[in-house]
Amino acid sequence: MRKKIKIYLPFALNELKRQLAYKGAFYLFIFISLFGSFIQYFLWMAIYGSSPNSTLGGLTKEEMVVYIFMVYVTSNMTMITISDWVSDDVVKGTVAMNLIKPIDYRMSLVVRALGTAVYRMLLPGVFIWIGLEIYKVTVLGLPLVSIANVLLYLMSCMMSFLICVLFDFCFGMVAFFTTYIFGMLMAKEAIMSFLTGQLIPLSFFPEVVQRMFDFLPFSSIVYTPVMIYLGKYTGSELLFILFRQAAWVVILYLLGTFIWKRVTNRLVVLGG
Amino acid sequence: MRKKMKRYFRLYRVLISQFFKVIMQSKVDFLMGLLGFFFTQIMGIAFLYLVFQQIPSLSGWTLEQLIFIYGFAQIPRGIDHLFTDNIWLVAWRLVINGDFDRYMLRPMNVFFQVISEKLQPDAIGELLIGTILVVRGIANGTAQMDAVHVVFFIISIFAGAVIYTSIKLFFASIAFWTKTSGPFLQVAYEMADFAKYPTEIYAKAIRFIITWVIPFAFVAYLPASYFLGVRGTFGFGQGAQIVGTECLIAAIFWTVAYALFNKGLQIYESAGN
Repeated sequence: MRKKIKIYLPFALNELKRQLAYKGAFYLFIFISLFGSFIQYFLWMAIYGSSPNSTLGGLTKEEMVVYIFMVYVTSNMTMITISDWVSDDVVKGTVAMNLIKPIDYRMSLVVRALGTAVYRMLLPGVFIWIGLEIYKVTVLGLPLVSIANVLLYLMSCMMSFLICVLFDFCFGMVAFFTTYIFGMLMAKEAIMSFLTGQLIPLSFFPEVVQRMFDFLPFSSIVYTPVMIYLGKYTGSELLFILFRQAAWVVILYLLGTFIWKRVTNRLVVLGG
Repeated sequence: MRKKMKRYFRLYRVLISQFFKVIMQSKVDFLMGLLGFFFTQIMGIAFLYLVFQQIPSLSGWTLEQLIFIYGFAQIPRGIDHLFTDNIWLVAWRLVINGDFDRYMLRPMNVFFQVISEKLQPDAIGELLIGTILVVRGIANGTAQMDAVHVVFFIISIFAGAVIYTSIKLFFASIAFWTKTSGPFLQVAYEMADFAKYPTEIYAKAIRFIITWVIPFAFVAYLPASYFLGVRGTFGFGQGAQIVGTECLIAAIFWTVAYALFNKGLQIYESAGN
């Protein structure tokens, strides 16, 4: 185990350093991605203003504010795209180098993604989070989030990070078949933003569709941790939800191993 | 002058036909890109649809009206995206790599060379969905369309595309001073997302910015609301006023952006060795 950490830790540290080197660009990207959250905020305020009911999809107006910004914090931290690293490696042929080194390619990608996740949690995650809590208590008049919920939230986030990265690894295998992955990435992001609950809480969907989502890994990526943060799950339901996340981690891990074996068997790298 | 125009048209045809050969070679990529943009827009509509299961109208707007605005917003965006996508590369790469050199060496207008190097087929996804939604709005009577409106419509989408191009060119030209300006361009470009919805839902400061500073409201929401005829604004006078202002803004922004671009060309230094 210790040896493993020694081998893979540098991947995470390198990624952290790389991120730090491009700070300027990064802050601008934060700014841009917050745009989306603010559009959502104003849109939802208008929606609640036009509604005769005070709760929509099981959330009050105040809870919706928390939902919107926690979705930002959560997805920013857990939804790390590794499929474009895979496609980069495949297109340039550097994947061959990774195959001859005595390391696990997928493991190195996951650890690299972890470096990014840690960085994003610190910047800007924690700051937005604290800002949101202050806003919540002073302006919205909701109680401060409990320590238990924060811990459960972080645990759930860890698993959602793994689900997302392992899924994205499988998705990245597409790069072995087509070189232009940009369009696929866009389609994937659009569909995922919908299925994970980034765009709209899943409770807004019709009952039948919600049942279907229970059988997909996506709701576990954003919707689950944020709802845990809001304290919407208790007792056995909470246990079940966490267990479901863990199950997806295992399933996607096995699926990734299977696909990777199949794909590398037919891989041809030219030149190098 | 006419001879010059003719020459440029011929050149554009030659350059773009090269590009079509590339597309034909990789049809799958083309389809993927198209689908990517198509899906992104579909999700936006699905979002509105789900929300309207809960509320009858949003600040006085019906679902059909919002879908029309949403669709209308895609058309100028798509036109600009189709023809001038290469401007992004100026912002991100061409200046800092020194690849911009090649444009300086040919006896042709530099801006023309930049945009004629590439057509972005992905934009067809946006144009497709925009057209579908607008036609749908007209068919079910949400939007007004008679001869006058059609003329204003055509003028409006082209003025809108010019506003898009000008904003892109302006922020890309900053790269001549800073070497890369991709992030700035991205911030400005993403502001357009605000204009997909009626601007009255936003705080005053945001509304001011997207109407007058980076005037995306004039590209989408304001002309679209004219075609919807909300609050009795579908007379000729109002149309002329809104579309006229849009054209004026397009002209001003284009002049400023193009001047900045030319100024940038003068101070451009290659990054070579």
